[in-house]
Amino acid sequence: MSQPPVYVLGAGFAGLAAAAELAALGVPATVLEAQATVGGLATSYERDGVHFDLGAHFVTNRLATALGVMDQCETLDRYGEAVWLDGRSAAYPFGLMGRPRFSASALAGRLRTARPASTAADSFRATYGDALAREVANPLVESWSGRPADELAPSVVDKIPGGLVATVALTAARRLTRRPVAIGYCNEAPQSMNVWHVYPRRGLGVFTDALAGRVESIRFETPIECIHVEHDRVVGVRIHGTDHPASGVISTLPAPTLARVLDHPVIAPLAHLRYRPMVFAMLHVRGRGLLPEPVTWFPDPALPFFRVTETAMAMPWIAPPDETLLTVDFGAAIGDAIWTASDSELAARAFSGLRDLIPDLSGRHLATHVTRTPIAYPVFALETEDARLAISRHGIEGLVSAGRNAEFGHYLMEDVYWRTLRSTRALARYVAG
Amino acid sequence: MVNQPVSVRRLVTEPAACCVCGSRDSEPVGAGPDFEYRTSPDSFLAVRCQHCDVVYLDRRPIAAEFARIYPDHYHAFAFTEDRFGVVYSVRRRLEARRLLRTFRDLPPAARVIDVGCGDGFHLDLLQEFGPPGWLLEGVDLDDRAIAAARRRGLLVHRGRVEELDLPPDSFDAAILIQTIEHLADPLVVLRAVRRILRPGGSLLLVTDNTDSLDFALAKRRHWGGYHFPRHWYLFNPTSLAKLAAAADLEIASLDTMMSPVNWVYSARNALQDWGAPNRVVDRLSLESPVALALGTIWDTGHQLAGRGALLRATLRRPR
Repeated sequence: MSQPPVYVLGAGFAGLAAAAELAALGVPATVLEAQATVGGLATSYERDGVHFDLGAHFVTNRLATALGVMDQCETLDRYGEAVWLDGRSAAYPFGLMGRPRFSASALAGRLRTARPASTAADSFRATYGDALAREVANPLVESWSGRPADELAPSVVDKIPGGLVATVALTAARRLTRRPVAIGYCNEAPQSMNVWHVYPRRGLGVFTDALAGRVESIRFETPIECIHVEHDRVVGVRIHGTDHPASGVISTLPAPTLARVLDHPVIAPLAHLRYRPMVFAMLHVRGRGLLPEPVTWFPDPALPFFRVTETAMAMPWIAPPDETLLTVDFGAAIGDAIWTASDSELAARAFSGLRDLIPDLSGRHLATHVTRTPIAYPVFALETEDARLAISRHGIEGLVSAGRNAEFGHYLMEDVYWRTLRSTRALARYVAG
Repeated sequence: MVNQPVSVRRLVTEPAACCVCGSRDSEPVGAGPDFEYRTSPDSFLAVRCQHCDVVYLDRRPIAAEFARIYPDHYHAFAFTEDRFGVVYSVRRRLEARRLLRTFRDLPPAARVIDVGCGDGFHLDLLQEFGPPGWLLEGVDLDDRAIAAARRRGLLVHRGRVEELDLPPDSFDAAILIQTIEHLADPLVVLRAVRRILRPGGSLLLVTDNTDSLDFALAKRRHWGGYHFPRHWYLFNPTSLAKLAAAADLEIASLDTMMSPVNWVYSARNALQDWGAPNRVVDRLSLESPVALALGTIWDTGHQLAGRGALLRATLRRPR
């Protein structure tokens, strides 16, 4: 009797990466996708000559190589981040550290005896010092997550990698190689002067299409109804009302959704995990280089948004010459004033919040495109920390939860890829016995 | 080579696995394009097996792409005196001395086979400098290489050693010099070589060394030994010993050997990649005696410390 397949839930980036790896390993697998197309959050579209991705992602030449699409990618013109503070911009990290009160408080923070941080606020204080924590880190994490920093778990800080020495060396490497070397964008594989930011010319759909080409079987419009577990072991799935035997399941469902289709006491707490909904207002405007850096952070609690990204500064090919795209990230709650705001209200809030930085923004405005995402960023709330840890420690044989939302982590795309390969290979070993 | 246009069509690739344990439990090491021959617009990923330490290409061109990744001017087909001049004659003398030292104990009528003989460079050395009674044969896949070797008067079998009907227990010695890294399945080939060796017969194996300083420095992208996308499996002493054990071959000796080639190419690839002017990049080539001389002096120091650029193993079929 032939072995039943492994079912991969979701044909987004993580699901397709998992299924492609199963194919490479010779493990029979079927991808179940609720929608009619591949891509999930990594989908691209074009409007008015501007390429949009449902979410812009950080992508390196190493990831593009692993996917076999480096020939369809361009190196970013530049990449950098800045913080807009007191009406001035400071480049991250050296511009910030150049402000004496931040460097002094960071130094003082380092000199204090370290004790284990119990909240994100503690952790920021220990890592960055009081001033930087209070004026930058806390406000940003609060508008990002919608919760005060002392109600968040310190694990939120784990996602910010890189020491000072590595950062200095990699910054120097940007000059030597004339490439936007990635600094702090890979945790799962080593940083080096030979890993830099690239982006597909036609958008991220290139990645998921490449992966889909390596996958043997995808069933569209086939949502998972139930995952059957017996004696702590995955035995089957139910789709379209019919049960099918399964050797294993790789779920890329958001963690709380997994708890809805898998009835098991260790999975049940996942239902309490919450994501911060986001509203992304993409302003198509005249001009280029309107921000100090392609990604600019706004740690001002009075503002309704916390980050603005000008992708065309880094990737000039995504918009016509002398036009650009500002993506303004508003934290929201389902049904609140931001979530229900019209496109023009959101644009007006952006114009007003950005008036010191780009005084004539409303005069440059061409169009606004708005994306509302109920599941944007995981909220590392203290009270759900145990539930979050259950995702990787559930102990159910043949079950893997892989991908950004399924792992409930703020993982960047390359890290999602290597993590997914690792857990997929572990599942393949289990299936092989 | 710098000015050659990059071919636009992507290569068709397939996934690979560790040649010793068969798993894909690996971590990424480096990524880069075909720096030297620019045979495709692709970039290739080198990964390291977490169990065996073998470094391999995660995805590699399928067999149907061979004619593209080994173009006509590939050096194994075109390493000639008129193109490489003094480098050619120096290399011949050096390699002849090394080979004859390794095979000094062979009987006067020894039968020797070179697996992956290319244009017959090494067999030709044995023919010229070795005892007249040795019976020399080669195996290769490529018609261009075979034609070149036959022009030298050598007996060459066309095909794969594991598929050819060569007589078992019949060869006194086999050589795989800078061949194993090109193979799709090194373990199958070593087992096939073991079968045709007589008991006690020896196999001289030379390949790039990943336990070297140039690998440590350039492994993320520019290492000459990657030779993207033509080197599929790369070893250090540990992983080579595992491969030998899996093929049931004993290790008679395992040490390193000086070679300037990977240093020269690592430096060349980096400079070219970072946009150095062609006149600088062109100084670093296998056709440049100065670059090779400097690389030789430099790597000799590493070899004396046991970390030369090449691994050299003498493996033996158990008696």
